[in-house]
Amino acid sequence: MTGPRRLEDVAVLGVGMTRFGVFPERSNADLAREAGLAALADANVSFRDVGEAFVGYIFGGAMTGIRAMKEFGLTGLPATHVENASATGLVAFRDAVWAVASGRCEIAMALGFDRMSAARSEGGRGQGRDSIDGVILPAAYFALWAMRRMHERGTRPEHFARIAAKNWNHGALNPQSDRQPDHRVTPEEVLASRKIAEPLTAMMGCPVDDGAACAIVGSRALARRLRPGRPVVSVLASVLQTETWTPGHTFLGPVVGPASMSRDTARAAYEQAGLGPADVSVAYCHDAFANEELEYYELLGFCAEGDAEKLVEEGATELGGRIPFNSDGGLIARGHPGGPTGLAQIHEAALQLRGEAGPRQVPGARTALAHLVGGGSVCTVSLLARDVA
Amino acid sequence: MKVPIETGYFTIPEDPAEKPRLLGTRCRSCGEHFFPRRVVCARCLDQEMEAVPLGPHGTLHTWTYVHFPLFGTKRADHGGYAVGQIDLPEGPRVQSVLSGGPDAFRIGMPMELELETLRENREGQEVVIFRFRPEAA
Repeated sequence: MTGPRRLEDVAVLGVGMTRFGVFPERSNADLAREAGLAALADANVSFRDVGEAFVGYIFGGAMTGIRAMKEFGLTGLPATHVENASATGLVAFRDAVWAVASGRCEIAMALGFDRMSAARSEGGRGQGRDSIDGVILPAAYFALWAMRRMHERGTRPEHFARIAAKNWNHGALNPQSDRQPDHRVTPEEVLASRKIAEPLTAMMGCPVDDGAACAIVGSRALARRLRPGRPVVSVLASVLQTETWTPGHTFLGPVVGPASMSRDTARAAYEQAGLGPADVSVAYCHDAFANEELEYYELLGFCAEGDAEKLVEEGATELGGRIPFNSDGGLIARGHPGGPTGLAQIHEAALQLRGEAGPRQVPGARTALAHLVGGGSVCTVSLLARDVA
Repeated sequence: MKVPIETGYFTIPEDPAEKPRLLGTRCRSCGEHFFPRRVVCARCLDQEMEAVPLGPHGTLHTWTYVHFPLFGTKRADHGGYAVGQIDLPEGPRVQSVLSGGPDAFRIGMPMELELETLRENREGQEVVIFRFRPEAA
């Protein structure tokens, strides 16, 4: 096997998304159209110029994505469905990035949508009643991880609550966020919410959402030409991995595999980009539950093993801290429909790197990391940077 | 008559004195054990796998108590359930429903496999699943 090829000339030309929330009156196609047209307008390109599309969704059933693409017009472009559970949108982004990097097309579209509110009772293995592992809720898996962490490191539920409160409060600053609390959410409020699975409470977890998000990808030169004067958002790495066998691997039941998967994927992304965690200004991760985010502080390399609790206590991952995490509210507040989740991360990362994130702007943000895990399981990490002129 | 929720995962002994076992495989090439059964070794990719019974004893790696009714049960009185991961002495870590209330568990405690009836099917058979309980001291 050869080492990772470097991405040399790929940029995010434009981004767009719907607000995430529960929208019973809206269809997948309707949501997809809103996000896609917004991204095309942001990129200043016509759908006619898009050379290839990658359409990500989890719940819609066969053909849903290709049919949704018709909302933009029938131009004959190649389009492919992408599905990697929670990681779907960020994996569609990876496919778009490498389609451009390979020279297969000049402009690629990554589009994600889902209506999880309509599809909640469906889904694959792990949710059916008549299967060996169908009796255990996915939420339980993250609780098992949290309990082990508390046993090994002395982590307290307050640490998880503080992370969740941070993301709720970040969401209040984001008009696209599902949860936009009208008051400052405290860790005490998070701890007092309904118990889901020890030690996790309802406010430590993400909501069920509908929504869509889209990114348009092309060359850096094209980005400069299409939007003169606007900072160019380069893609430095985009990596996808599945599980590697490790002792204690649990085959039946768990939602996501060994923690080492996130560490390995992040390392491969840093290597591909030629930089390290110290270079990252803002990060996005799979905070379906708050304890995950705490683990990813370490696994993505932002602190030494065992120091994540200290990072929380210092407020280092809040807006204004050393390394803000989930500035848009993350899965916990901005929301987690499934298919579009990773593209919402790219949306926020692009706004941050362009200096357009308004009240949640990380001053001088230069490099952003987006991480998601997906059930099964997979991990994907992308690194984006503002071009230095 | 007891039937498993899915076949190929655990034994249902006819003799009540006999303990249930998990159905696993051992790789003849690298010696690694797996649950559930596999055809190809996940570690060394060899295909020389042999069927072996696993358990019924293990230690609790982690646990939680879920505050929702267990899917697949008919018991409305049942407010929640415990879930854990059990390390078997042969190597595999098994995720399982646990028998006991929210105060019954501590990480590292010895656990034992048992069978739990989920419901009756249309033929009047008991549909059973495996779970683990704290081993009697």
